[in-house]
Amino acid sequence: MPKGFISRGFQGRRVQSDDQSRIPPGQHETADFPVLSAGPTPRIVLEAWTFEINGLVKKPIHWTWDEFRKLKSQPYTVDIHCVTKWTKLGTQWEGVSVDTLLEYVELEPNAHFVTAFCDGGYTTNLPLEDITGGKAFIAYNYDGRPLPREHGGPARLVVPHLYFWKSAKWVRGFTFTEQDELGFWESLGYHRRGDPWKEQRYRGD
Amino acid sequence: MDSQSTDQNADLMLDGNAVAGLLQEIFATEVTIAPVQCASCGQEGEVGTLLAFTQGPGVVLRCPACERIILRVVQTPQHIYLDARGAAFLCIPKPQ
Amino acid sequence: MKSVLEWQIATVQAICQETHRVKTFTLALPDWSPHRAGQHYDIRLTAPDGYQAQRSYSIASEPERRGELDLTVERIENGEVSTYLHDVLIPGDQIEVRGPIGGYFVWEASMAGPLLLVAGGSGIVPLMVMIRHRRAARSTVPTRLLYSSRTAEDIIYAEEMDQLVATQPGLGIYHTLTRAQPHGWTGYARRIDVDMLREVATPLGSALRSYVCGPTSLVESVADQLTALGLPADRIRTERFGPTGGTL
Repeated sequence: MPKGFISRGFQGRRVQSDDQSRIPPGQHETADFPVLSAGPTPRIVLEAWTFEINGLVKKPIHWTWDEFRKLKSQPYTVDIHCVTKWTKLGTQWEGVSVDTLLEYVELEPNAHFVTAFCDGGYTTNLPLEDITGGKAFIAYNYDGRPLPREHGGPARLVVPHLYFWKSAKWVRGFTFTEQDELGFWESLGYHRRGDPWKEQRYRGD
Repeated sequence: MDSQSTDQNADLMLDGNAVAGLLQEIFATEVTIAPVQCASCGQEGEVGTLLAFTQGPGVVLRCPACERIILRVVQTPQHIYLDARGAAFLCIPKPQ
Repeated sequence: MKSVLEWQIATVQAICQETHRVKTFTLALPDWSPHRAGQHYDIRLTAPDGYQAQRSYSIASEPERRGELDLTVERIENGEVSTYLHDVLIPGDQIEVRGPIGGYFVWEASMAGPLLLVAGGSGIVPLMVMIRHRRAARSTVPTRLLYSSRTAEDIIYAEEMDQLVATQPGLGIYHTLTRAQPHGWTGYARRIDVDMLREVATPLGSALRSYVCGPTSLVESVADQLTALGLPADRIRTERFGPTGGTL
């Protein structure tokens, strides 16, 4: 196999970044917002949409879309990093902090991890520490407009400090668990946590 | 062809032909003609007819009839992970 | 056919501008092996820092043209690989390829039955190879191509198509232009629909086999329309191309 072959004059679809300190190792900045999916865009009816928190909580709770939209929300400007190596700086969202949602539930003492579940069947797992303290939110607006369906609308999880596969599109809720239960990509070779600054892309990294 | 689709995700969906090279790396033979049966709905067809989602961290091949997952593949620098639980069987012809 | 695919370094022999957005690249390979009409090659580009991008492109040359390989590529605005191929590559440059790949979306002149080919945009490439192979194999199997393009300027291989229709027995080529038609246009002027397919396909009889290639939305609607016309699923073969004009 020809190792080391370089294509003359090829740089790829990469933007020369002004601020390299915001680009994690192995990443490059992109100007677009690539659409990545494991399946067809789910058909979601807002009247039937709920966000639910269940599992190791004293009492499960859910919000309808109207109820969810009445929760305290805020704007976010964050950098996002996809494990497929693109990074997008300064993305703008609006949504509800996960901390706000957790004010409405009482976690069991052994609720150490969460599995986010979604329309279409996607799941991802996170430790509690990675979604609290302002680190995660449920976004329903992107760039000043309702989140497009292909990017996870009506609502997606955004966890900007981890690789973007953790920012589950079409999110419908959280199940709190005692153990870390590997989600869709984590169970097929991706890292269980996915910190881009430690380049935790794959299992064993 | 004017593709006025507002769902880029739909436009990006391909089929098993698009991942023929990757599958040939795994199975050491051409598999787009290989019959595969969906473990979810029982539909049988060639791998070339499966719906392919290639733009994510891995490849997902879905049944064209019920859209459930048949195969998933992830490539890491040193390995290929294959999840074939969605296939009741994959029937690969022997080289003659 | 080789089972184990290896990457090899091909050399660009010639580049031909087919339309304002489409070029054909003729490649010489150190280890060329015969392909079948409908197969493709994977191309891989590597930047100095190791960053790689990979795409698949249908082989455009018929298998009877031995020893070299044509790939026809549409230039997609902001496309990572197609813009490199169009804007940077010159004859003499090298490029990593592997192939030939595929088995399902393949036609050989030895296969029985009248042939219906339906193409949208750059989906014409694998179907044109089938027609070129048909000519080289001196096949007279009744064959009709229905080809959807935006405008007349977007029709790839237009002159060759006219020549083939004039010289190849049993071959008909029908165009539809969906966005704008030139003055005096007598072809179809709308997106492919079941009536258009019925008109084109009926003379081929009910034993026909069909190949459909193009953007996903076209492939899916044409496949549904052919099913509605009574064509059994096992006589409809499809290959979806992404918005980049090839498989992603």
